Amino acid sequence: MKTLTLAAIGGGVLATILSFSFTAKADNHIFYGIQMEQFEYRSGDEDENLFVWDGDAFVGTDELKLRWQGEGERDLKNDLYENFENRLVLQTPISDFFDAKAGIRLDTPSTTDRWYGTVGIMGLAPQWFEVDADLFVSETGDGSARLDVEYEGLLTNRLILTPSLELNAAFSEDREIEVGRGFSSAEIGLRLSYDLIDRAVAPYIGVAYERKLGKTADFAKDDGEDYEATYLVTGLRLLF
Amino acid sequence: MPNFKNSLMRRVSVSTFILGALVGLQSPAFAGAGHSGGHNDGASEIGAPGEISDVRRTIRITMEDNFYDKEKIIVRGGETVRFVIENKGEFVHEFNIGTAAMHAGHQEEMMMMMEHGALEADKINMDMMEMDMGNGMTMKHDDPNSVLLEPGKSAEVIWTFPKDAELEYACNVPGHYESGMVGKVRLQ
Amino acid sequence: MKQKFARSALWGVLAAIAVSSTANAANYDLSVDYVTIDTGEMKTTGIGYNGSSPGPTLRLKEGEEAVIKVTNNLDEATSIHWHGLILPYQMDGVPEISFPGIAPGETFTYRIPVSQSGTYWFHSHSGFQEPDGAYGSIIIEPKKREPFKFDREYVVVLKDKHPHSGARILRNLKMMPDYYNRNQRTLGDFISDVSENGFGATLSERGDWGSMRMMPTDIEDVQGFVGLINGKSPEQNWTGLFKANERVRLRFINASAMTYFDVRIPGLEMTVVQADGNNVQPVKVDEFRISVAETYDVIVQPTADKPYAIMAESMGRSGYAFGSLSPQEGLKAEMPARRMDAPLLTMADMGMDHGNMPGMDHSSMSSGNENSMAGMDHSNMAGMDHSQMAMSKDDPFYAAGSGLTPKAANGGKFLSYADLKAQKPLYPERPATREIELRLTGNMERYTWSINGVKYEDAEPIRLKYGERVRFKFVNETMMSHPMHLHGMWSILDTGNGKWDPVKHTININPGMTVYSETEVDEPGQWAFHCHLSYHMASGMFRKVIVEGGPAVAALENGVQ
Repeated sequence: MKTLTLAAIGGGVLATILSFSFTAKADNHIFYGIQMEQFEYRSGDEDENLFVWDGDAFVGTDELKLRWQGEGERDLKNDLYENFENRLVLQTPISDFFDAKAGIRLDTPSTTDRWYGTVGIMGLAPQWFEVDADLFVSETGDGSARLDVEYEGLLTNRLILTPSLELNAAFSEDREIEVGRGFSSAEIGLRLSYDLIDRAVAPYIGVAYERKLGKTADFAKDDGEDYEATYLVTGLRLLF
Repeated sequence: MPNFKNSLMRRVSVSTFILGALVGLQSPAFAGAGHSGGHNDGASEIGAPGEISDVRRTIRITMEDNFYDKEKIIVRGGETVRFVIENKGEFVHEFNIGTAAMHAGHQEEMMMMMEHGALEADKINMDMMEMDMGNGMTMKHDDPNSVLLEPGKSAEVIWTFPKDAELEYACNVPGHYESGMVGKVRLQ
Repeated sequence: MKQKFARSALWGVLAAIAVSSTANAANYDLSVDYVTIDTGEMKTTGIGYNGSSPGPTLRLKEGEEAVIKVTNNLDEATSIHWHGLILPYQMDGVPEISFPGIAPGETFTYRIPVSQSGTYWFHSHSGFQEPDGAYGSIIIEPKKREPFKFDREYVVVLKDKHPHSGARILRNLKMMPDYYNRNQRTLGDFISDVSENGFGATLSERGDWGSMRMMPTDIEDVQGFVGLINGKSPEQNWTGLFKANERVRLRFINASAMTYFDVRIPGLEMTVVQADGNNVQPVKVDEFRISVAETYDVIVQPTADKPYAIMAESMGRSGYAFGSLSPQEGLKAEMPARRMDAPLLTMADMGMDHGNMPGMDHSSMSSGNENSMAGMDHSNMAGMDHSQMAMSKDDPFYAAGSGLTPKAANGGKFLSYADLKAQKPLYPERPATREIELRLTGNMERYTWSINGVKYEDAEPIRLKYGERVRFKFVNETMMSHPMHLHGMWSILDTGNGKWDPVKHTININPGMTVYSETEVDEPGQWAFHCHLSYHMASGMFRKVIVEGGPAVAALENGVQ
């Protein structure tokens, strides 16, 4: 069932993007791009093995883009999706460096599915911080927010050190998906990548630290789950 | 900042080879100017101003933008030639007899004239040329081996060539020599 | 009887005209083909003419009618624009503006009454065919003798050949504007700046750029190219032969998509005699910068019996083209050391330094009085000298303190626009009837480029009236240089030299600068007006110009055959 839903979503996104791309041939004002910021294998301190991805793809003009944003975590040991989320948003510039976006998000982890409506902004903050800030309202009426910040530090023009931060907060409790009110989770990463083929393929190594916060952490503890984890990561950054 | 008068004056006084007579605006000043022969270190090697009585032959040279109508002239060693030079172009041009090295040196001076506004593409600023440099010298120097002509003007040069030398007649207005406004003097 | 005579006389005249016009017509054939471009280190499929990229050199003659049949062997539409040629607008070769374009398999006949002479070039105006290789050179022989002499001549076409196709390059730039910028400042630069300027100063300097979200290294959008001379990479070493003491005329054409080149021939002075096809008063230089789409003709006179290097380093120093002038085939010149100190933009290039404003305004310098020097009192010499010194030291076409201001490799003379003086003014001087301001605008982080903040697709055409003389005021509000090209009519660049202002087809405007040019609106029809950097043009730094009024242009018989 889940697989079917995923296939449907994936197929839908692909079809949309492909159909836009065909239009792009006729009109060179339409552009597209696919990017995987994270596409990595994580090995944790307690013998956990995860496969994690975080990427996006867009198609559209300078003024209006359709963007897919997706991220997920597959627990390789227990063979389940800890996280599986896909977003489809429309995006338009609102200032020199920022775009506004609005759309839908569907989470389909191995536990409980959730639909969300979402609005957000993404762009480049002063001092070259890449920022993605979003608000979500779920089908159960629970509100949440997420902030993603990333910075590319050029050790050389090809060797790049990228610190990143993801912070999640919930405005109300959703016990079913084990999220408590307040700051719910954070992830800090530090990845060292090397641009191997243009900007298209850049292998990296790094570390990631995940931690559930506040009530959300308490839920995890109550369930006897880990509320924090540190990983060594190896992966590829991809851009096509 | 370098003082214009001083730096220019220094150039003028050390120069062995200054802007030619500004004929065409006045009478051919050098025609009988035996006194100026000694101005050139290279004078003996390039020849000397000649006397009208020695002239056996007149060579007409037309200046255009930026070339002479003749690419070479043939003269006998020791011959005195009267050159009748006419500027049919729209720019100032020079007719100057000398060696390639002398022309190269002169080009720098002409460049300075231009930079300082004494010489423009299509006119000569006489007031600046005649300006008193402070010790009775002016930029207007009657050099017998050259004339500098504004458009439409003409002039004569009478020149006695040496027995043997590698000579060119050339226009040293900036860029003109390099553009090919130069001809060979073949001494026979 | 009389009538019959009159009629036969008429036929006679017509026949004579027919004969003379045939005698005056020159026929050329060009095919547009897919070709392989091999630079030694990469092999790509591109587009060329008559089976090769670059295409052939077309030799036209002033006064003839050039009849050029262009056959499209591609599976997409194409076009050829004759860059710098004055011609009826239907022959100008810009799809959607001049004509519908040339469909696959079709032949279009261009008929060009050749009314000028000099060095020009041609290229496709469709999609990214020009960056992909669709370019060639044009030499037009003048009717009259030229104001300079040369023993032999070579066309030297510069090109920034990139392994990626043009379409892919623009997509990458849209996805990530610094995709191709491998000259960005790194941690190492930070450390060396700290040791030089102190931590505080360095941090605050980085902070200034960071708060603008602009990069001082943003000089070449598209790096990673191989510089070509006449289609040859440095390793393939294009060679022009000479005999010692010959005057060699080199016709430089920058057919690049994006790259400005700094050109020098170590050991030789170059006398610039032509710019954009129009003769200029000869000026001796050691080096010159050629903007995209410009041409410069220089004369060199190699005296030694040895090879000389033609070195063309890109403005941002990320690439270079190289070739040889050689007394014999196979003798390669020694390549001069590359200058690896890539320039950095400064706040002056951002238009931040208001100190440069007076210097920028050439109109106050020109004021139509080119004789101001002559009229000067002798007592003012010192003051005059000062202004002259300033002119020769700082190129007035760069913002004061600009990081882009070029310096000759040997410390000698670097050509400035201010040195360009028309050899023979093409138009009498007269005041412009009006001024049109064109702000060159863009957003590097979005890779959008526009004029007055509006992209081509959203813009109204610029409407000019036949017979007027319009003054364009270009205000560069971006941090990149833009070579602006007006089709069909000349641009008289205001250098402050009055009647000697040079006549060009492409005018470069550096960052933080305001530059003026004037155009005598003497060609009816509709024309393109754009930045000649391929990806800026494609992103919207482009306008259609409509000339209203003027003699009706007869529809030319040039349909598909």
